[in-house]
Amino acid sequence: MTSAPPQTPAAASTGPVAPTAPVWTAGRVWLLVALGAIALSLIPTGLFRTDVVNGGGLPQLGRFARASLTPDLSAEFLAIAGQATVTTLFYAVCGTTLSVALGLVGGVLMSAVWWQAVFPQRRRPFGQVLRLGLAVPRAIHELIWGLFFVNIFGLDPLVAILGIAVPYGAIVAKVFADLLDETPRQPLQALLNSGVAPLPALLYTLLPQAFLDLLSYSFYRFECSIRSAAVLGIIGAGGLGYEIFLSLQSLRYEQLWTLFYALFALNGSVDVISALLRQRLDSPTRMDLNLKRQRSARAGVSSAALSGQPGTPASLGASRSPAWERRTRGAWGLGHALLTTLRERLWQALPAIALLLIVILIPVSFRWVGADYSKLWSPRTATLLGDVVRLATPIRITAADGAQLLQLSLQTLAMSVLAIALASVGGILLAFPAAYTFFLPGGLFSGTRESRMQRAIAWAGFIATRLVLLVCRAIPAPIWALVALFVFFPGILPGAIALGLHNLGILGRLKAEVIENLDQRPLLALQAQGAPAPSVFLYGVLPLTLTRFLAYSLYRWEVCMRETVIVGLVGAGGLGRLLTEQLSSFDYRGLVVSLGCFILLTFGVDAVSGAARRSLR
Amino acid sequence: MTRFLGFLLLSVLLPLTACAPGSAPSASLGNGAEDAVVTQPFVTGAIPDQDPEKLQRLYGILSDYLSEELGVPVEYKPVTNYAASVTAFRVGDLDMVWFGGLTGVQARLQVPGAEAIAQRDIDAEFYSVFIANTDSGIEPFEDSAGLEALKGRSFTFGSESSTSGRLMPQHFLQDAGFDLSEFRGEVGFSQNHDATIQLVEAGTYEVGALNEIVWNQRVEAGAVDTSRVQVVWRTPPYYDYHWVINAQVTERYGDDFVERVQAALLKLDPSVPEQAEILDLFGANRFIETQNSNYSQIEAVGRQVGKIQ
Repeated sequence: MTSAPPQTPAAASTGPVAPTAPVWTAGRVWLLVALGAIALSLIPTGLFRTDVVNGGGLPQLGRFARASLTPDLSAEFLAIAGQATVTTLFYAVCGTTLSVALGLVGGVLMSAVWWQAVFPQRRRPFGQVLRLGLAVPRAIHELIWGLFFVNIFGLDPLVAILGIAVPYGAIVAKVFADLLDETPRQPLQALLNSGVAPLPALLYTLLPQAFLDLLSYSFYRFECSIRSAAVLGIIGAGGLGYEIFLSLQSLRYEQLWTLFYALFALNGSVDVISALLRQRLDSPTRMDLNLKRQRSARAGVSSAALSGQPGTPASLGASRSPAWERRTRGAWGLGHALLTTLRERLWQALPAIALLLIVILIPVSFRWVGADYSKLWSPRTATLLGDVVRLATPIRITAADGAQLLQLSLQTLAMSVLAIALASVGGILLAFPAAYTFFLPGGLFSGTRESRMQRAIAWAGFIATRLVLLVCRAIPAPIWALVALFVFFPGILPGAIALGLHNLGILGRLKAEVIENLDQRPLLALQAQGAPAPSVFLYGVLPLTLTRFLAYSLYRWEVCMRETVIVGLVGAGGLGRLLTEQLSSFDYRGLVVSLGCFILLTFGVDAVSGAARRSLR
Repeated sequence: MTRFLGFLLLSVLLPLTACAPGSAPSASLGNGAEDAVVTQPFVTGAIPDQDPEKLQRLYGILSDYLSEELGVPVEYKPVTNYAASVTAFRVGDLDMVWFGGLTGVQARLQVPGAEAIAQRDIDAEFYSVFIANTDSGIEPFEDSAGLEALKGRSFTFGSESSTSGRLMPQHFLQDAGFDLSEFRGEVGFSQNHDATIQLVEAGTYEVGALNEIVWNQRVEAGAVDTSRVQVVWRTPPYYDYHWVINAQVTERYGDDFVERVQAALLKLDPSVPEQAEILDLFGANRFIETQNSNYSQIEAVGRQVGKIQ
C-alpha cells in the first residue's frame, strides 16, 4: 500500500510522452514495459503476503522526527560536528582530485581520437578495450571498494580516498573520453599534419577546447564526492557519516540531527557554489554530459554566448532573460543599484575566487587526511592482496546457491525499479515548485499583480521545496534505510524507499534545472495569446520537459541499481543483505559470486536504460 | 578569451598534477621519521558491541593502565563493525582485540599463531537473555520449549557477528526446532546490545536477544524502563568474550611480551580503585586465563550456522 502511489502517478505522467516521441510505437512499448516492471516489482516486496509494516516502530519514528527541533547544540558536540564536517569535505576534495587526475589520463587513453592521433594509419581497439575494462570498477559501489581496500590497506585514510577515487576515476574517464571524442578535431588534425607529436597536439588543441566542459563535470563530481565521503564514513572512514552512524546506532537522535544539519549545510553550500560557478562558466546543466543529444544542441548556444560577452551577467540571462528582467525591474532604486554592482563584481571575480579556494584546499586536504601513501607499494599490501586472492578462489556455485542468487538478484532489481519510480515521480512533482521561473514573482505562473501575501507564499513554497530536496539528497541512502527500518520489517521495501528518497532529492534538483533552462519564448507566446495556466503547462511545459525528465530518470536508474548494495548492507533486503552476511562470515568466495551478480545486474540495467533513452530521442 | 582559458587551464591543472603525488612522499617521510624515534604503539581494539561512547571511555583508561604496566605506548583504535575489527586484526593494524566468542574464533582462524589469552570470570559461563516488550503479553519461561510462545512475533538480533546477540540465540532457537521464518516479518539486526534494548522497549520489535551482562548493567544503572520490557528467557551457558593477541608482537617488544600482557590483565585488582573502575566497566570481578580450545563449541556452532566457512 505504501508503494501503490508511485504506480498511478507514473502512469499519469508518462502518458503524454508518446505523442512527442518520434517513434510512436516504441514509446508505447517502453511505457508498457515500465508500468509492467513497476507492477512486477511490487510482488517481491511481500506487500500482499506478509507483514511489511511494523507499527511498533511509529513512536520511535516520532521521537526521531521530534528531535529535529532540539538538536544537540552543546559546545562539546558542536566541536565534534565541526571537525567531522571538515573531515568529510577534505576526504571529498582528495577523492575528487585523484579521480579527476585518474580520469584525465584514463579519458585520453579511452578516447578514439587519441588512438587515431597515435596510430593514424591503422585502427587500434585499445580505447574500446580499456572502456570495457573500466566498466567493472564503475559498476561497483564506493562502499564495496572501501570494504575491499580495508582488507589490503588496513585502517588508513587511504581506504576512503581510493574508495572514492577508483570508481569515480573510471566514471570521469568515460565522460572525459566522450567529451574529447565529441570535440571538433580540425585544430588537432592541423597540428598533427604539421608534424606535432600527439601528446602536445592534444594538450594544445582538444584539451583547451573541451576544458570548460571538463571543469564543469569535475565540479559536479565534487558534489557527488561529498555525498560519497559521507557514505564511506559509515564503514569507519571518519567524518560526518561515521558520527551519524554512531549516533544512530546508539539512538541519540538529538546528536544525529546536529550532524544532519551540518551535512545539509555542507551539501547545500557546495551545490550552490558549484552551480554558480558552472553558470558563470556558462555550462549550466549538471548532467548534459550524460545526454549527448542535448549537448550538441547546447554547444551552439554556449559558443554564441562565449563569443559575445563572456563573463558578464548577460551570459547568465541568456536563457532566462524575460523572467530575470521582470524580477529585477520591480526593485527599488539606489540600494538595488549598489547591490547589482556588488553582485556583478562578485560574479566577475567568481572564477578567481574558486581558483584560489581550489589551490588552497587541495594541499590542505591531502595534508589533513594524512593517508599513508607508502602502503600503495609496501610489501605488506602485496602480501595481503595475495591473501585475499587466495581466500577468494576458486569459486564454486552449487545449484542451491544459484537459485538463491537468482531470487535475490530479482529482488534487488525490483528494489531499484521501485526506487527509481518513487524518485522520478516525486522528483517531477517537486521540480516545478522548486524552479524559480515558475511560481515566484516574475515567473511564468505568477499573476502580474500579486499581493505581498501571495508573493510571500510563493517564496515560502519555493524555499520549502528546495529544502525538502536538499534534505532528501544530503542524507545518505543507508541512513534513510535505517530510518525506514523503524517502521518496516527488513526487506526490499524499506530499501526501495530509502533509495527513492535519496534519489528524489537529486532528480528533483536536476529536473528543476531543466525547467529553469527552458526556452521561455514559446511559453510566453502561448500565454500572450491568452492560454490559461493549465493549458500553458500541459501543451507548453510538459512536452518540452518530459523527455528530458525521463532520460534523467533512466540514467539515474543505473545509479539506483549500484546503490542497492549499500542499503542492503544496513539490513534492507536483496543481494546487499547477502553480502553483509558473507562479509561477516569472511566468505570471500561467496562475495566474489555475489559481486559478480551485482555487476551483471548493473550492466543489464545499463543496457536497458540506454536502449530506452535512445528511443526517447 | 583564449588567454583567459589557458590561464585557467594551467592554474587549475598544475596544482592537480603537482599536489597529488607531491604530498605523498612528504607524508610518508614524516611518518618514517616519527617511527624511528618513538616505539611503535601496541594497538588495541574491541568489537563495537556497546554504545561506542562508553567503549571510548573504557579503553582510554585501559590503555593508560597497560601502557604503564608494559612500558610501551598503548593505543585504542575504534572500529565501526564486528567484521572490520576481525579484518583489522588480520592485516595487523590491531595487535590485541577484545573479541566476542565468534569473532575471536574467526580472527584466530585467519591469523596463524594468534592466541586467546584472557577472559572475564563471567565469560566461562556466559548467558544471553531473550527480552520482550510487556505489551506483547509474553510471559517468562524456564525451558527452551517455551520458545514456542515467540512464534508470530517480531524479533531482532544484535549484530550479525555477535555471539551473545545472534549466534547462540539462533543456535538455541534452532535446537528447539524453531525456524527463523516463524517470526513475524524478517528478523532485524539492531547492530548492538543497547540498540536491541531500546528497540524492544519502544516496541519496534516485540522480542530481542542480547548479552546478559549488558542487560544487567543497564538495569542497574536505571537506563531501562522495566515496566516496558522484561526478560522472558535465559539461555544455557557458553564461552564468550576474550582477548586475542597477535603472536607477531613478540618480534616488536620481546619474546615474553604475550605473557607480560596476559599477566597485566590478570593482575587487575578490584581492591585498587583505578583498576576497579576498569573491571567495573568490563562488568567483571577479575580477568582469568583462557585458551584456544575453550572455544571449540563456538566454532562448531559457527560452522553449523554458516558464520565460519
